[in-house]
Amino acid sequence: MIRVIQRYDFSAAHVLARAEWSAARNKAVYGKCANPAGHGHNYSVEIAIEGELDPKTGRILPEGKLDDVVRTKVVRTLDGRFLNRDVPAFAAAVPTAENIARHIWDTVVRDVSPARLVGVRLIETRNNSVEYAGGEELP
Amino acid sequence: MDFSASYRDASGATSGHNYELEVTVSGQVDPKTGMVIDLKELKELMEREVEARFDHRSLSDDTPYFRDRPPTPETFAALIFSLLDAALPKGSLYRIRLSPTSQLSVEVTR
Repeated sequence: MIRVIQRYDFSAAHVLARAEWSAARNKAVYGKCANPAGHGHNYSVEIAIEGELDPKTGRILPEGKLDDVVRTKVVRTLDGRFLNRDVPAFAAAVPTAENIARHIWDTVVRDVSPARLVGVRLIETRNNSVEYAGGEELP
Repeated sequence: MDFSASYRDASGATSGHNYELEVTVSGQVDPKTGMVIDLKELKELMEREVEARFDHRSLSDDTPYFRDRPPTPETFAALIFSLLDAALPKGSLYRIRLSPTSQLSVEVTR
């Protein structure tokens, strides 16, 4: 079994808070991440795909396909953005590392055939990362 | 293990990488030694099977393995898996992870 893991970097700002909650409740749940002015991270995301080796190309996806998909659909839409305001997926879902990982999964999962998406690892800081292997819906 | 190698891609252009290789073996812990495998033996085996064949070589020109397949991260990782699998005690190789760059890794399992 061959698994290819490619890393991409982007930077974005977010606030962890729910609009319908009071400032005190958001602070209690999300701590300093609830500051309404937002804060930012240098994110990395590792996209893991598995598939069969094409004997002609020696690859599991045509050269450049994963880069095209992730750069166009993920990096370009998230890099340099305020996730809560600028990315429709985070109008309802709080842009936690968990939800960003799910959003990236949902965004690329149908575009990596004939390989299969098997994992998204969203690295928010050197101290925290989230791995998602599919199976849940964004709220 | 780290090693460096070059290759010619489909367009004929020559490139190269500092490759990083992680080898994972699995098995029973020997009750006497407390080890799954002697790491010194594993290191020597990796030096013999991988470093001696590929370090500071051209995969395309200095080895026989890429005459009929392109030297991609996937084919190179699959080759390293099969070389190590043949040299290690049967069934003990669990996974290899080959990283041609810090952005890219290929993992091969059975």
